[in-house]
Amino acid sequence: MGNIINCLLVDDDLDDQEIFIMIAKTVNENIRCITANDGAEALLKLNDHSQVIPDYIFLDVNMPKVNGVECLKKIKNIERLKDCKIYMYSTTSEESIVTETKKLGATDFIIKPALPFELKTILSTIFNN
Amino acid sequence: MLSDKITEGFENTNIRTITELHHRMIEEIEDYAIILLDKNGIIRNWNKGAQQIKQYKEKEILGKHFSIFYLPEDLANNLPQLLINEAFKNGRSSQEGWRKRKDNSKFWGSITITALHDHDNNVIGFSKVTRDLTEKKIAEDHLRLSEERYHQMISEVQDYAIILLNENGNIENWNAGAEKIKGYKSEEVIGKHFTIFYTSSDLENKLPEKLLQLAVKEGRAMHEGWRVRKDGSKFWGTIVITALHDKDQAIIGFSKVTRDLTEQKLAEDKLHSYMRELELQNSELEQFAYVASHDLQEPLRKIQTFSELIQQNYHDEEFVKRYFEKLSSSAKRMAQLVKSLLNYSRLSKDKSELTIINLNSLLDEVKQDFELLIEEKNAVITAESLPSISGNYTQLGQLFSNLISNSLKFSQRDPEISIRSKIISKENIPNPPFPLSHTHYLNIIFSDNGIGFEQQYDKIIFSLFQRLHGKQDYAGTGIGLSLCKKIAENHMGFMTATSELGKGAEFNLYLPFVVS
Repeated sequence: MGNIINCLLVDDDLDDQEIFIMIAKTVNENIRCITANDGAEALLKLNDHSQVIPDYIFLDVNMPKVNGVECLKKIKNIERLKDCKIYMYSTTSEESIVTETKKLGATDFIIKPALPFELKTILSTIFNN
Repeated sequence: MLSDKITEGFENTNIRTITELHHRMIEEIEDYAIILLDKNGIIRNWNKGAQQIKQYKEKEILGKHFSIFYLPEDLANNLPQLLINEAFKNGRSSQEGWRKRKDNSKFWGSITITALHDHDNNVIGFSKVTRDLTEKKIAEDHLRLSEERYHQMISEVQDYAIILLNENGNIENWNAGAEKIKGYKSEEVIGKHFTIFYTSSDLENKLPEKLLQLAVKEGRAMHEGWRVRKDGSKFWGTIVITALHDKDQAIIGFSKVTRDLTEQKLAEDKLHSYMRELELQNSELEQFAYVASHDLQEPLRKIQTFSELIQQNYHDEEFVKRYFEKLSSSAKRMAQLVKSLLNYSRLSKDKSELTIINLNSLLDEVKQDFELLIEEKNAVITAESLPSISGNYTQLGQLFSNLISNSLKFSQRDPEISIRSKIISKENIPNPPFPLSHTHYLNIIFSDNGIGFEQQYDKIIFSLFQRLHGKQDYAGTGIGLSLCKKIAENHMGFMTATSELGKGAEFNLYLPFVVS
């Protein structure tokens, strides 16, 4: 058994949460994934010092309350999260948002793929490189 | 008779008698023609002035009748004889008129004929004094003509109302342009105060008085605005009022030049409203592009994902069942989005006729549609009496329905919805989203005790498919308020929203209102 990989997935779409976790587990059995339904909930969990600091954060862009871009800005201001790799994870492929989030410090921008094997390929590259 | 002998002042001369001196005096006057006529009008004496003015030498003219100086039309009227007759009767006669010189050129003469009497008071002849006033006459004629022309020019100008006001603002002069633009005839309007051309709101604001004061202070005042014609209709006038001064710089009145630019103004307004419409359509197009690329893509992507997963797990009956349900709900959602998008785009093309709508009965109808939900949620809707308004019944019904549906939906306790209205003048509307075209608006206020939203989202909530809540918490496509906004805009109105999280929401609808 290898090291546990801790992930936080922030997405208001429960179907997308389910699919992400399902695929992630097939990529690496050591992945532990917790979820938040929007940016506000994510920040609440990230600011809770009793919780484990995630290795990876996946952020949807269009979410109610605090959206992905706002959430990213706030996470980047939290010192103890400075080693987290943050991936944007969205249906949106708008160039301006891709550029902005990368400038704000996102490691990469993942456009939600239509087919499960595509997501599997992407997650494999991230977790098993 | 007094002695004719010269006594004082003229001693050292060979002229010995006063008579001779008199004679010389008259003879040598150059500026007046002084002629002696006998009682028949025959010229008996001639001086230098006469020669200067009429060009005849003494020897050419003595013995001729004085009518030689008269023009044919005066001769035809027997003018010379009439003048003689009058002088004979009254002692003198005078006249001004054109006379002719020897060379037939004309001069303007001012003539006085005086009767001369003998000791028995019988008329023995006449003196005729003529002055050449041609230059003065020409100058006067010229001035008069130029004044007449100037007056005529102003009075016949059609495109500008040119009005003379006295120092109090009463109308003293009126031209054809003024009649054409303002509809009054000169005799109807002269003496009236120029405030009659102003709208009641301009009068309330004392605009005419302010313009006169400005003209007094600055020399002139300019203004553009709606003015009132005689028949009550309005025109868009550009106005220049200029103060007129006498030589001591005291105000003696004002000139007021008005141009009717209604057509230009209307064209300009139309252009602005086209531009606004274009901007709106543009931003809608952007929203549509966004919706097509994001919101519609989302269920489509899920359908692909689910069908792929089903294919990979076709042996797992439980899995297949669960994912078929998800697949079908994604397809349903896609259908729902397409349908509401269609509804929204149809709204832009809806140009159906406006009717007078009783908002109370419209609200009753909407309440009936929600009867079951109202009962189920234990909701209370209180409404003040609302006025009637001109609008599109179906659209306003949809707007009321969407707002009430939202208030019923976004609540965690028994919903309390209140609807009230007030008429508000445009100056009292804070931060309108565009320049308001009407003077008064009907402000309908929908407020509830629901979950509300944070004030920073007050614009976003009106955007297409924007949702403030997770899909799992509250159902809906996120199009309801976009439709409301669009309907308000179709009615040349707009909507605003205010709220605080957890403290209910208030939606303000503003629609143009004609105060009767």
